[in-house]
Amino acid sequence: MDLSDEIARVLIPPLQRVQSSKILSGLLQKYQNLQLDKLRYLAIVVESEEAKNTTKIKQLLSWLSSIGVKYVTLYDMEGVLKKSVETDLKSSENPSVADGNAVASVHQERMTVELLSFSDGKGAVAKAASFLCLQYLEGDSVGYNKMEPVFTETDVTNALKAVGHGGPDPDLLLVYGPARCHLGFPAWRIRYTEIVHMGSLRSMKYGAVVKAIYDFSKKHQNYENMPQFVYEHF
Amino acid sequence: MPRGIKRIGATGMPFPFSREALAGARCAALCFGFGSSRTTSTTAVAKALPPPHLRDLSRPKNPNLATIVYTMLSSSPFHFRFHSHSHSHSHSPFPYPSPPSPVIANLPSLPRVPPYGGGGGCRPLQPPLVSYIPSLGALVPFPEKKPCCVLPADAAASIESRQGAWRGEHEEDEEDALPSGLRREWLPRHVAVIMDGNSRWAKARSLPTSAGHEAGYKALREMLRLSCAWGIRVLTVFAFSSENWLRPKAEVDFLMMLFERILRENIGNFLRESIRVRIIGDSSKLPFALQKLAKEVEEMSRNNSRIELVVAVSYSGRGDIAQACQKISQKVKHGLLEPEEITESLIAQELETTSIEFPCPDLLIRTSGEARLSNFLLWQSAYSELFFTKTYWPDFGEADYVEALFSFQKRQRRFGQRIT
Repeated sequence: MDLSDEIARVLIPPLQRVQSSKILSGLLQKYQNLQLDKLRYLAIVVESEEAKNTTKIKQLLSWLSSIGVKYVTLYDMEGVLKKSVETDLKSSENPSVADGNAVASVHQERMTVELLSFSDGKGAVAKAASFLCLQYLEGDSVGYNKMEPVFTETDVTNALKAVGHGGPDPDLLLVYGPARCHLGFPAWRIRYTEIVHMGSLRSMKYGAVVKAIYDFSKKHQNYENMPQFVYEHF
Repeated sequence: MPRGIKRIGATGMPFPFSREALAGARCAALCFGFGSSRTTSTTAVAKALPPPHLRDLSRPKNPNLATIVYTMLSSSPFHFRFHSHSHSHSHSPFPYPSPPSPVIANLPSLPRVPPYGGGGGCRPLQPPLVSYIPSLGALVPFPEKKPCCVLPADAAASIESRQGAWRGEHEEDEEDALPSGLRREWLPRHVAVIMDGNSRWAKARSLPTSAGHEAGYKALREMLRLSCAWGIRVLTVFAFSSENWLRPKAEVDFLMMLFERILRENIGNFLRESIRVRIIGDSSKLPFALQKLAKEVEEMSRNNSRIELVVAVSYSGRGDIAQACQKISQKVKHGLLEPEEITESLIAQELETTSIEFPCPDLLIRTSGEARLSNFLLWQSAYSELFFTKTYWPDFGEADYVEALFSFQKRQRRFGQRIT
């Protein structure tokens, strides 16, 4: 590791803080009008210990709503968010819950908030596998009349929807916690998801959220009109 | 062309290869002899044994002579090289640091090693002298193989009392090789890499895409060398995704030929350096010759234990999960399992990575600035530390690798004990 790398390692975090402050103060014009066409679904992964900080979670949701995000999936492994946030969202104005999602009106903008935990990831796939097996045994469409069951990716996708775990694939996933790790977020749904590590929830910054969304939008403008798989190459 | 030999060169054209030259190579092998003084034992590789008259080779009295002869034949134009022009990497030996041999001097007899290792899940010794690879139609001599097992306690103690004991993990040798700042106890056991950026690297240099893939191959060799040296146990590389089949046909064909060439060129290296090779992904879409060669290389190397090199070709993370669900449903169909008994653990056991020593990567690296998993090890990467770097894959070298490992060590690992 040479000296320049060490210097970069020491200097970059403060530079990011400076940039975040500039965004907050409106100095950087380019962040003012975010193009959210490409960001249909945003996911937030929070380390479960940090997820207990309900105040920070609510603040984050408020920021996202003010930015204009329409659909947010909140995830933590142990289900802390399911217990704390859902209660708050249900008791807020115009509450409504549909299919396990709490729809909250924040800042006059309706934003769908989906709450997930570990059981919605790998556990959901197990339920989907069970569903597919039952379908096969009953002679339904999946693998019907085949000697051996054959399941495609489409079959599994449909099975996940059938067992109530068919949420959308997030375009962008922000990770709050000590490790850059998606912590078991539903594996089926993060095939092409952009993953950004935001650091600790305690020290979250509005500017950093805006920058992450801006960078995502900018990058994916270059891929406009191109099928995802074309640029998924090495 | 001798039966069973298929040669692919960089141009994709078959090469002339005379029967006389092949016969000469076999004769040379017979005259000089290869192998160690260890007793042979049959392994699964034995199903591809050479003809009987070539099996019993005289053993060299002087092990050094065998090494010299092997080196001579390795560099011989008649020896398992099927390319029209040389690549610098194809003629230089894999520069792996070799583990030290066990010190067994002054013992009344050689320590008895049980046929299936000394315990701890060691794999048995693999001492066939030569192996016949049908797809090559030639003999591949097994170089002097260092035993991988930990010796029985009494033998190990007597060895240790003399000088630093050699253990299967080569700890003493590799401890010194670690770059400054890295600690062995904090190294990841399983590193996965999405080798992204070959095309962009080539484009930036006004080179054809094939040049980028060739350069990527060199980077892979270096990463494998370093992983061996630093004691990484599993290295998984994403070579070709299921989506890549949609790339231009010329590029896909080139990649398939490159993969075949890579396997052929490195068979000796895999054996010499005790690298176990596994191929994961939907192999049914691969060219038949590549499928066959891949199976042979996997079979030949299955008893190697220094490091596992897992190559994901035509791989899809979703596809991996779907095939696991399919395998489980077969068990349900045959009455071995009830649908309601299906759990995530059972699904994990049916994934393509399940038989790998450490199936889930501790560290997942992606080069070229993209920050996505791109359908790679979706299930297995739940707790993987993700390291995204802007460096293009062909430029990813030791310094970048050290940075990734350092990052893995430095970040607070929430999970003190690895969770899989």
